[in-house]
Amino acid sequence: MTLSDTAVRTRGLRLLNMATALPIAYAGTLILLVCAYVFRPALLSPLLLLLIIRQAAPLGLAVIGQSLCMRILSIDLSFGGVAIGVSYILTSGYVPGSEAVLIGCALLFGAAVGLANAFFIVRLRASSVIVTLAMGLLLTGVVIAFSQFRAPGDAPALLKYIGQSRVSGVPLAPLLWLALLIPVAWFLRRSVLGHYIDAIGANPRAAHATGIPYGAIVVIVHVASSLFAVFSAFLLVGFVGMGSLDIGRDLALNSLAAVILGGVTFGSGRGGVLGPAVAAFMLTFLFNLLTSFGLGEPSKLMLQGAIIAVAAIAYSARTKT
Amino acid sequence: MTGRVRSKTSRSGIRFITIALPVAMFVILSFTASSFFTAQNLANVGNQVTALLIVSLGQLIVAIGGGVDLSVGSMLSLTSAIIVTYDPAIVIPLAILAGCVLGVVNGTGVAVFGVHPLVMTLATGTFVQGLTLLVSPVPGGVVAPAIEALAHGRPFGIQPSLLWCAVAILLCWLLLARSAFGLRLYALGANARNASLNGVTVVGPIIACYVMCSLAAVAAGIFLTARVSTGDPTIGAAFGLDSITAIALGGVQLSGGVGSVPGVILGVVTLGLATNGMNLLGVSPFLRMAATGLLLLGAVSLQRRKTIGV
Repeated sequence: MTLSDTAVRTRGLRLLNMATALPIAYAGTLILLVCAYVFRPALLSPLLLLLIIRQAAPLGLAVIGQSLCMRILSIDLSFGGVAIGVSYILTSGYVPGSEAVLIGCALLFGAAVGLANAFFIVRLRASSVIVTLAMGLLLTGVVIAFSQFRAPGDAPALLKYIGQSRVSGVPLAPLLWLALLIPVAWFLRRSVLGHYIDAIGANPRAAHATGIPYGAIVVIVHVASSLFAVFSAFLLVGFVGMGSLDIGRDLALNSLAAVILGGVTFGSGRGGVLGPAVAAFMLTFLFNLLTSFGLGEPSKLMLQGAIIAVAAIAYSARTKT
Repeated sequence: MTGRVRSKTSRSGIRFITIALPVAMFVILSFTASSFFTAQNLANVGNQVTALLIVSLGQLIVAIGGGVDLSVGSMLSLTSAIIVTYDPAIVIPLAILAGCVLGVVNGTGVAVFGVHPLVMTLATGTFVQGLTLLVSPVPGGVVAPAIEALAHGRPFGIQPSLLWCAVAILLCWLLLARSAFGLRLYALGANARNASLNGVTVVGPIIACYVMCSLAAVAAGIFLTARVSTGDPTIGAAFGLDSITAIALGGVQLSGGVGSVPGVILGVVTLGLATNGMNLLGVSPFLRMAATGLLLLGAVSLQRRKTIGV
């Protein structure tokens, strides 16, 4: 075997490694687009694609929060509770004041939920899955119990405008998504906090031992995550135009699926910010494709579950070897 | 002496509050709710608690091994859907088969591939919920008389729910406290690496845990469906978190290695009395859901772990 032979082979191996290290979402999106091209070409029209991207925007925003949590070995499953709470604050008419006050209240509410989650996770060292699931249960229960006294009303005009209007043909919602995505990506790469997050994900004990403020970062990340859930709920409420008790029901599960598909798993931010964003689009596109094939809720749930399980197994198996 | 290093919590996990909570609840309820002590209500509590107890005992087995199973609720619903959909002669073997498959998938994902148990079982639970809705989209259907008799017949004049509870408790206790498997499981849950270095196999027992937990959910599903005499594809939705709440209230450490059958019984009684009390006092079902969330937060806060995160 000559030297050039091995060089070629290692280069080939490296390329193969790089290809398999890419988030599943990229290949998945490609396969779905080809599928759509063959079976449902109508879905690929620019108009429909833009609509699907618009539809993916709320999930995309929630996914940013979820990916932050998973980078530091935590998780946030309280999105559904946050979304329903935000919907109630904005539309029930119970909270007095102008639209700005309502939106401010919703943001405060999100920050409070994030702080409460973080308190249980950092101070009491409870498992984040159980804490955030319980928090979701708590919020959903309280909101539904309260809304029995008062049906939800209209959404604030500003959110309806953001949810439904277009700027030179492009819907506003995805632009908002992009406007939050780019600073987050830049921030994670350039800021001290971003490096701390990477360090904690790589080895929490080592990070703690080197003096990185571990607890404080978990608090910041959980507050940020809940705030992204609030933004996501803003878009959802804006789309519908009025309050609903159904809002954000599968936000937590879908965001978990998207983050894992996007190459971010517990402690690894390998997929960056783009991977999960592509995965959010991929999932939304997939659900549209399924609907066009006439498949309903049950198959959607089965696919969601299978996707999370298979992606999680694939990543765990890959990081083990 | 090193024997007292873990003196704060014994292997059973039962502490003062584990026992005091159900007793206090019992006393409060007997004073505040006048209908609490009627025979009808006590029988009701017994029936409501039975399914939860069976599921929680399964959850206990997984928790001692250091895992957790969120898919039990979906498995319970699937059992209910299967019973009212297919030929009565094959429904129980079919449900047991489904339970075995789910357990093996969960256990393999966790023990072989190293996926976090919460992520793995959340995923499979979602899949099974979808499958359940595919099998039987809406509540309804008829339960065969032979299966109905499982929860309505009175052999020797004993309440059927008591019988189910007794069998489940006995099986679980024998397994955990009187078998080599149970001993190895405690060792695995306390420290898998140490156990493995001392010659305990890891993969097999963990998979077995998840299979037993799924089978417990199947048993609870059979009991519940037989009792209400109809199928419901979402009947188990609350059981995942409820069973975790119950075992956490019973002093079981969710990080593994600590927990006992008496503790779980106490935890289930606590949660059952809390639910029944709110029922009697006319609290809205959604606030009851919120209260379960609050209880769960309280129960997990009592168990400080070493690590922050999932």
